[in-house]
Amino acid sequence: MPWLKFMAATRSRSGFNMNEIANYIAVDTIEEAAETLAAGPVTVLAGGTDLMLQTEAGTRSYAATLMNIRRVAELRGVGLEDGSLTIGALTTVSDLLADPIIGAHCPILAETADQFASPQIRNMASIGGNICNASPAGDLLVPLIALGAEVALVSKADGALHSRRMPVEEFVIGPGASKLGDTEILTFVHIPSQDGAAGAFRKFGPRPALEIAIAAVAVTGRIEDGKFAHMRVAFGAVAPTPVRGRAVEAALEDKPATDETINAALAATDADISPIDDVRASAWYRRHLIRTLTQEILADVFRA
Amino acid sequence: MMDQIAEQISLIGQRIPKPDGAAKVLGRTQYINDMVLHRMLIGKILRTDRVHARILRLDISKAAALPGVHAVITGDDTPMIGIGVNKDNPPLKSGTVRCIRDEIAAVAAETEAIADQALALIEVEYEDLPAVFDPAEALEDSAPQLHEDKPGNVGLSYNISYGDIAAGEAESDVVLDETYDLHYVTHCCMGPGCVLAEFDAMGKLTIYSQTQYPYNFKMDLAPTLGIHPGDIRVIQPPVGGAFGSKLDVYPFEPICAFLAQKTRRPVKLVFSREEEFIASPTRQPVRAHIRAGAKKDGTLTFRDVNCLLNNGGYTSWGATVPYVMMRTFSGHFRVPNVEFKSTAVYTNNPFAGSFRGYGNVQATYVTATLMDKMAEAVGMNPIAFRLKNAQEPGEVTPQGSLLKDCALADCITIAAEKTDFLKIYAANAKVETGRYRRGIGIATSLHNAGGAKIHKSDGCGTILTMDDYARVTLITGASEIGQGIDAVITQIVAEELGVPMASITIVNDDSAIGPWDVGVHASRTTFIAGNGARRAAIKAKAQILAAASKEANVPAEEMELRGGHVVQSDNGVSIIRLDRLLRAMHFAGEDAELVMVTDYYEPPSEPEGDNHYGDMSAAYAHAAYVAEVEVDTMTGHVRVEKMTVVQDVGRVVNGLGIEGQIEGGIAMSIGYGLTEDLRIEKGIVKNPSFRDYKVATAPEMPEIAYHFIENDTPEGPFGAKGIAELPAIVPAPAIANAVYNAIGVRFDNPPITPEKVARALHGGQDGGDQ
Ligand SMILES: Cc1cc2nc3c(=O)[nH]c(=O)nc-3n(C[C@H](O)[C@H](O)[C@H](O)COP(=O)(O)OP(=O)(O)OC[C@H]3O[C@@H](n4cnc5c(N)ncnc54)[C@H](O)[C@@H]3O)c2cc1C
Repeated sequence: MPWLKFMAATRSRSGFNMNEIANYIAVDTIEEAAETLAAGPVTVLAGGTDLMLQTEAGTRSYAATLMNIRRVAELRGVGLEDGSLTIGALTTVSDLLADPIIGAHCPILAETADQFASPQIRNMASIGGNICNASPAGDLLVPLIALGAEVALVSKADGALHSRRMPVEEFVIGPGASKLGDTEILTFVHIPSQDGAAGAFRKFGPRPALEIAIAAVAVTGRIEDGKFAHMRVAFGAVAPTPVRGRAVEAALEDKPATDETINAALAATDADISPIDDVRASAWYRRHLIRTLTQEILADVFRA
Repeated sequence: MMDQIAEQISLIGQRIPKPDGAAKVLGRTQYINDMVLHRMLIGKILRTDRVHARILRLDISKAAALPGVHAVITGDDTPMIGIGVNKDNPPLKSGTVRCIRDEIAAVAAETEAIADQALALIEVEYEDLPAVFDPAEALEDSAPQLHEDKPGNVGLSYNISYGDIAAGEAESDVVLDETYDLHYVTHCCMGPGCVLAEFDAMGKLTIYSQTQYPYNFKMDLAPTLGIHPGDIRVIQPPVGGAFGSKLDVYPFEPICAFLAQKTRRPVKLVFSREEEFIASPTRQPVRAHIRAGAKKDGTLTFRDVNCLLNNGGYTSWGATVPYVMMRTFSGHFRVPNVEFKSTAVYTNNPFAGSFRGYGNVQATYVTATLMDKMAEAVGMNPIAFRLKNAQEPGEVTPQGSLLKDCALADCITIAAEKTDFLKIYAANAKVETGRYRRGIGIATSLHNAGGAKIHKSDGCGTILTMDDYARVTLITGASEIGQGIDAVITQIVAEELGVPMASITIVNDDSAIGPWDVGVHASRTTFIAGNGARRAAIKAKAQILAAASKEANVPAEEMELRGGHVVQSDNGVSIIRLDRLLRAMHFAGEDAELVMVTDYYEPPSEPEGDNHYGDMSAAYAHAAYVAEVEVDTMTGHVRVEKMTVVQDVGRVVNGLGIEGQIEGGIAMSIGYGLTEDLRIEKGIVKNPSFRDYKVATAPEMPEIAYHFIENDTPEGPFGAKGIAELPAIVPAPAIANAVYNAIGVRFDNPPITPEKVARALHGGQDGGDQ
């Protein structure tokens, strides 16, 4: 194993947090990663576009070992089997934008990638990092929840690799908090077959690009016999985590695709979300935007 | 010898790339951040985390004991001699802190990490004091008093009175009474604040500084350091943006010098981005109350303006922006009766400095939107109403600005024609449905364009020398802070001396070499330093032609310089190659001479006297900008689609430079009008990062159409006027007027954020800014 020893110092706003990385390791396989995690406090580094900023700002500190997983080749790329997709945790947002399988089978992820950060950040940012960072405003989480995606989490104990799966919706539990165990690595994202369902993602921030969402909406489903069917809805930046829009789904499911249904669905958005006032937007505005973006998707995409 | 030298195409008006551009793009420019000097230490500042408090205990012992720390200083070690406009800001505070950016201790250490660690080891105990954040509240008798010698918290006030407001009001058919709240924004220089200070063994200070006024900087820095201004040498490596933010001495500069003095080693101090947001000056926030009137026929009758300025804890140039504001209120359009009063009031907020546009950003936001409101109130369209009140060439404003070549009416007329303004304006106003609505709006302003005589001199020194190979070294007092003066001066000198631009070297980065200049501000550098460079070149030419005349027996009046030769004016035939002539002049025994000329150009302007009266600039310029916007009535997002620029520039010197200035100004003004908002709540900066402080990015830039009015102002170099501030002044109110045209809502509290627009259109109850 290529162990490199070095010291790094990070600083907080007024320099009060000083913490040191004792070891840096770059692993090549999932197993090595799991072994390193089993051996003790580790900070996982993927693209670093969240991690570096958070440690610089002092809102988070490094564990003694920093483990770079970017050399784990098996963790990057998109696979297709029976209509279900498997996306490696290191797949970048730029990959999602360009990947032909995503384009053909899950265009909502490409649509999301297109509204994500800037090209420079997209080249570094990984899907696994976006999920593990568990930001209430994490863009990819929103369509992943609507798609019913699951994450695979791997650890090593008693000489064997263990893997468990859970829906993204359950995985994120609070701002920056997830069910990722201390010794686990997120390896893959599994997306069930969408069977030709449509989907759309919209986000809004004051600027057209390079913007953190102050509200985001993803909807998947289709119109069958003039009715909304298999509708799944998720909202971002309006609750402690991205959330499922169950009240909206109920208002839509099996109802005729009319203005009336859409209006009922818009009225139901308030029940699904719990936005707050902060420096980026007021709760009122976030609610207003959620209705606006949902209306845009339902009217413009689903009924177009 | 019979070579005929073809007539050269004039360089004036060409598109000349900035000579410093390539190195910057390639990452080769060495900024102060990049500099490393032998034995250099890193300096860091500890800032308070209180907005108003007494320091009860400040214990540096643990920090001082940390290995690798060479000095820890506090206000007890440094003189309580204030810097800034009111000299109220000692570099390190002792006793009381008055705002969140206050410097209370500083360290010099071997590495940045050690310096950070040392700061963390400094222990401070405070007793919080009652604080005040609103300027109106700070004026109340019961308000906490911030500075003992400033009773009532009044920092500075400015007042003018011309004509008779009551009489003006009496003849008005319409009187408007409006209040504007103009917010905090900050410069957002790409290069954060930094300085490197070094004392030599004789106790003389060399300071590598980002300053944009190196000569007076010495004078302002010296007293607090307790050294003679003559013992300070200012070296100016390239800077990553200034925009007015480097027009004063700020605490970090003397602090760095103190650390260098104490450690007897070079010390470098670099701001983090967060520190840059918190601890560099802002644009002056202004609460402006204006009453203004007009007659039914559209004639303006009076303006009565009262401004409250949130001065923050200390006084830098921000508090003086009324000086510029009043010229706009009194002089932009024909206003017979004007009163202007302003008070800068100390509060426990951070403080403002100078910022491109200098008060005119604020004044123009008010006047340009008020002109539209007034036009509507008297039932005229925005163009006709403005033309009715536009001054003619030769008119003098109430404060004594002689508008010799006033192009205001031309600007308005051309802007209206080029954009088909009236037709589009009327059509937009009729649309009342649809999610996306379009609007068009015009704004105009007036700014000094031939320097501004606010100091005893508004001059600039120039030294021009030529070597034996006809290479020119032009030493000017005017700094290059990214604005493009190096290119402009190169063009001007090359034009006069008939030499290639590549043969000219500009030197303007060392106060030990350069002659005095008042500083880069007030859109003055092309005009003042350009005139200086041209006059120096003309003197050099006279010396050269006199020598050529002796050499060749041709009268000097019949010769000129062209393509590196002295040629006969009538047929362009070369008389002698310039480098040969220079060598002949140089190696001429007892008659030897070098071409070495100096010039000090003082523009023909006058300082203000009583009632702020005086023709303080050698030229004035107007501009009319038209914004075309699209408003998303659901999200509230405003997109600027097109900006049509009509500006009186006197004469374009560098086509690329002028467009660069205008583009940059529009980006800044879009930020001011739509997105940028430094949120200061109870004295705390809430969004000190580019994540939450929104500058305009590339996709927000509109299409820009340029129409330059070029009338060759008599005093300007080749007729040029200063142009750099109007582009940062005029767009925001043009956008505000366009938003009104689109959705019928006025925003007197920029920025016009999507949320504000959405609230105005859809009503919003819970929380957030209304
Ligand atoms: C300028 C800028 C703009 C941005 N814009 C957006 C935007 O528009 N939308 C958006 O959603 N985000 C945005 N981000 C945030 C960030 O880019 C994304 O969240 C990105 O997907 C994070 O991925 P990463 O690979 O860089 O993660 P890292 O920073 O490397 O890691 C993030 C966290 O996840 C952990 N981690 C990473 N991978 C794994 C794994 N496989 N297993 C276990 N733990 C893991 C890390 O330990 C860390 O805690 C932006 C960031 C910046 C700097």
